[in-house]
Amino acid sequence: MKSLRLLSVDPSDQGSQRCRLGPGLMSALGLSLGSPLLVSVPGGSCLCTAWPRPDLAEGFLQMDLKCSSPSLISHPCTHLDLDPGQLTPVPCLKLKGVKITVVVQSVDFRKHTPPRLIHELVKDMLKGVHVHNKYVINLQDFDTEIKYVVIESINPESAIAGYITSKTAVEITGVQTVRHYRSRLQKQHTVPLGGLEEVSASLREMLELPLLYPRTLSSIGVLCPRGMLLVGPPGVGKTLLVHTVVEEVGASLVVVRGPEVVGSRPGESEAMLRAVFEQARAATEEGPCVLFLDELDSLSPRRTGSTAPENRLVAQLLTLMDGMDQSDHFLIVGATNRPDSLDPALRRPGRFDREVIIGAPTLQQRKAILSVLCTRMPTCPSVDMAELAQRTTGYVGADLSALCREAAMHALREESKGSGGQAVGMKHFQEALKSVRPSCLRSSLGRTDLSPVSWEQIGGLDEVKLRLRQSIEWPMRYPEAFVRLGLCRPHGVLLYGPPGCAKTTLVRAAATSSHCAFLSVSGADLYSPYVGDSEKALAQLFRQARACTPCILFLDEIDSLVGSRSNSQTPNSVQTRLLSVLLNEMDGIGLKTLERRGTEKILQTEGVEENHTQEQLDCQEVSNKDVMVVAATNRPDCLDSALLRPGRLEHIIHVPPPDQQARLAILKACTKSMPLSVDVCLEELVAKTELYSGADLENLCKEAALLALQEENMEASAIKHTYFLRALSKMRPSLTAQQIHTYQTPPK
Amino acid sequence: MSKPVLTSLHQALRKSFQCLENNQKVWENVLAECSPLMVSLGNLAEQSTALSNVQISNTPLRAFPDLEERLRFKLLQATDTVLNKLSEKMSSLQSVRDAISNQVSAVFQLYEQSTDSLDLLTVTERSAIAPSVADMLEWLQDAERHYRQQFLRRKTLLQTLRADNLSLLESAPKRWKSLESPSAEDNITDTLCKVSFFMESP
Amino acid sequence: MEGESGDITVTSANRKGSAVTGSARKIKDNAADWHNLMLRWEKLNEDGFKVAANVVNIRGSPSDRQLAHESSSPSLSSSPAELQNECRKLQDIVHKMVVVVMKMERLLTSQRGIQDLEEFQFAPEGRKSPLFHTWNTKQFEELSQVLLDAFSQELKLKQTILQELAHTWTSDLCMVYLSCWLHQPFIPPETRLTLEALLLETGHRPL
Repeated sequence: MKSLRLLSVDPSDQGSQRCRLGPGLMSALGLSLGSPLLVSVPGGSCLCTAWPRPDLAEGFLQMDLKCSSPSLISHPCTHLDLDPGQLTPVPCLKLKGVKITVVVQSVDFRKHTPPRLIHELVKDMLKGVHVHNKYVINLQDFDTEIKYVVIESINPESAIAGYITSKTAVEITGVQTVRHYRSRLQKQHTVPLGGLEEVSASLREMLELPLLYPRTLSSIGVLCPRGMLLVGPPGVGKTLLVHTVVEEVGASLVVVRGPEVVGSRPGESEAMLRAVFEQARAATEEGPCVLFLDELDSLSPRRTGSTAPENRLVAQLLTLMDGMDQSDHFLIVGATNRPDSLDPALRRPGRFDREVIIGAPTLQQRKAILSVLCTRMPTCPSVDMAELAQRTTGYVGADLSALCREAAMHALREESKGSGGQAVGMKHFQEALKSVRPSCLRSSLGRTDLSPVSWEQIGGLDEVKLRLRQSIEWPMRYPEAFVRLGLCRPHGVLLYGPPGCAKTTLVRAAATSSHCAFLSVSGADLYSPYVGDSEKALAQLFRQARACTPCILFLDEIDSLVGSRSNSQTPNSVQTRLLSVLLNEMDGIGLKTLERRGTEKILQTEGVEENHTQEQLDCQEVSNKDVMVVAATNRPDCLDSALLRPGRLEHIIHVPPPDQQARLAILKACTKSMPLSVDVCLEELVAKTELYSGADLENLCKEAALLALQEENMEASAIKHTYFLRALSKMRPSLTAQQIHTYQTPPK
Repeated sequence: MSKPVLTSLHQALRKSFQCLENNQKVWENVLAECSPLMVSLGNLAEQSTALSNVQISNTPLRAFPDLEERLRFKLLQATDTVLNKLSEKMSSLQSVRDAISNQVSAVFQLYEQSTDSLDLLTVTERSAIAPSVADMLEWLQDAERHYRQQFLRRKTLLQTLRADNLSLLESAPKRWKSLESPSAEDNITDTLCKVSFFMESP
Repeated sequence: MEGESGDITVTSANRKGSAVTGSARKIKDNAADWHNLMLRWEKLNEDGFKVAANVVNIRGSPSDRQLAHESSSPSLSSSPAELQNECRKLQDIVHKMVVVVMKMERLLTSQRGIQDLEEFQFAPEGRKSPLFHTWNTKQFEELSQVLLDAFSQELKLKQTILQELAHTWTSDLCMVYLSCWLHQPFIPPETRLTLEALLLETGHRPL
């Protein structure tokens, strides 16, 4: 049979429940006039009565959506072609009874119309309609306040569809408004939450308590909390959390995005705010309701002395919140990422009773979020959520979702090239990790583009490497060992040594191997012509670093940054002030409440064996809450001694100029990718490069290669030993013996 | 072979259209009687509004202290009377609707009983003097739906009026008038025209 | 309350057919007079309302607030002469109403006379057997008093309206005046019942 073209319904058939098709098809399906017929279309199905088209033409189908599955109400199908196989005749017997929910247009109608009348009207409207269990009957053609009827169940229960006569008993189980019903329909497509269990439980409790135990609460004289403030950096899922919980509880949601209610005319904003509260109050008639004020900081900034229009808006909000009485069963949830800019009056109990801080997700939370995100993606079994979670320090929910999207895109691209399978593998995630950076580090001062450096790329310096691993990598990766031995992880590490001896590269390698976020800042980043700006920037840097712990904060050239108090010419210079900020931050004084993350976990040394990896992750989590500060300098004498005492930069590591062995290793590392001719004797070069730093050696190799090109006209295929010697003759070592001597004594 | 069945069905259809024609007139008459009642309902609401707007103690009528209360009572009483009359009219409309509904469902039932001997070709066959059975059943259904809709709309309007909501009362005549759908009425008249030959044929 | 105007109670046949005399005769005649006067009042009220509505319309208030559509003359020529004419008509009607109420007062006086006579004839406690069915003479007087009070109060309202109608500019107040005229707030619905009871008792209406 050929396919049917679905056309829109004829206006004269509106509300008739007819489905027009050709008489030939009707005969083929064994239908007579008015026989009930179930039509399945993409997205739902619809129960109709079959009628021949007036022009008796075949090949077309028009149907009136009088009785359809709920999904078709919100997404009616449009022009498309149908297979005749999608039409199924359904037997429809007279029904003994139906249970229905009535959906009406306005709250007013619902409130003022006696149930008897609604029953009478609905019964009249339903007479002669073929209904299908769980389907929705569209009554809009009657043009009254009653818009839909949802068939909750039918009697006899064995039937799936039936015919309503005047003898059918109609029982109304509930009356809802269209708005409420539609929001209930949309509930089907919810996004699950990962890692926000505690916060969502708290929110759910606030919503459900007054609903489930209204008597108990009033009898013990407890006022139910009415306000909740969600605080957290952008992208942690504040808005999503509210939406999800509200849907789970089945409450209705009135959303106000701060800027939406701010109008230009005087008094307009206040009126809009009042209207919103009124709307929420009206919504409570049908069940619990949440009034969600997103971006609350833009709505009620801290009041200033002048009579700014915002002050009036804040005052209005306060009045409205105080004006809510116990009969108003709605909850106000505010969300902001700048709690400090809120008016303090808003944050007292009775207004926003509870403040819930959602920080950047912890390791466990990230793992939970990732598993939620990946449930809907075909992932390879090789994808290790725990490892991914470990590598995504500082990523918030939005970042992780971007990461997954990016990984999926990579997989797609590969698939379109024909080289990969369907599933998203670990390599795709690794690829995505390069392009998606944590948003809390965006717009940060510190450079974060960290090209991975492995320990092997650094020649020599084995002792330094070991000490670095001890103080940076070990506490990050094996915290349980530290706990076992009662060891405290160092707060800070100072690398000192002559310039060009790979201090920066060493830190990078350490950060790479310990998989933590890496922020690097130098003096120039912090300097600002405005008084106080530099200090603020440094404090901000620490805040950001704390938001994505475990994190290494690398202060390169720390001497230029903070200087020393003892030998400073002007006691109140920027550098001195920066120093005090740095000291404070390192002692943890600058910690703001906003930055709290997760709940405090108590570290237990004896754990349950089978849950070992879990324990280990937890352990890492707990032990690495602080930022590790790594500083580097080549003038340790210029540093303030306060910086160097234990608890601050306590591990002081001397990075010496390379000795013979080291220089050999460096040269080997540098020439790894160079085609050397057989006559090159690196040992000889090593002997001749006393006092050369690592950077000098690298430069030497480059110079030699350039010489080769210069001499042999771009045809050079190998670098000869002579070129090295000639390059060496032109160069001066950057270190002096006297310099090296000064570094021998550790700074005090 | 299906001749006798078809004849009896035709007979039932004739009877139904006759019933429709008679009741259409009754319907129109009842509606015509309703409009002055709706107008006075609106007037009474207007008077009540005016009474609420006037502060009697600031007018020459202050000599009659219980005037407002008494007048309000009289207005309410008059409103009640009008509403009672309207609900009587609604019962007449309901009986028209019921008559048509019953007739249409009877003829449809007759058709359903004889579907075995009436194939689709027969019921969709049109002739110079008679529309097809399918057409006629459809028209009857359309007419029945029209009266059902009309009745429900008007009933809803009247039943949702509340004496304390003056603006609702005041707008009632206008809304009542807006419920008229001349095109649907014309359709029924058209239908009756289309079947006139059929009605006269034996 | 309007309508039933064909119902003239006191016909000569009626009068002859009943062989009552004396006080009973007088009371029965009074009852018939009450009925007729009230009919007349209703007629005057109806006419007066049409005139009053005209006054308001001529005064040029917006045409959408014609209280009585049936009586509204679409020609809104607001000439002062016409207005004056209508006002005079209204005045005439109110004057006639005054006459009606005066006659009602006379009826009450006559009722009092009957009562006085009765007290003179019998003891202050009245006659032993009722004149008609159940009521004693006193009750007739009380009823008449109630009716008269209602109509005189209503007359006062009408007189106030007559004075103010042409000088009122707020449309709401005009509407209230017209509404008062039409619905007669001081004549409660019981008035009609009272009269019917009177007619029943006196035998004008068959039991």
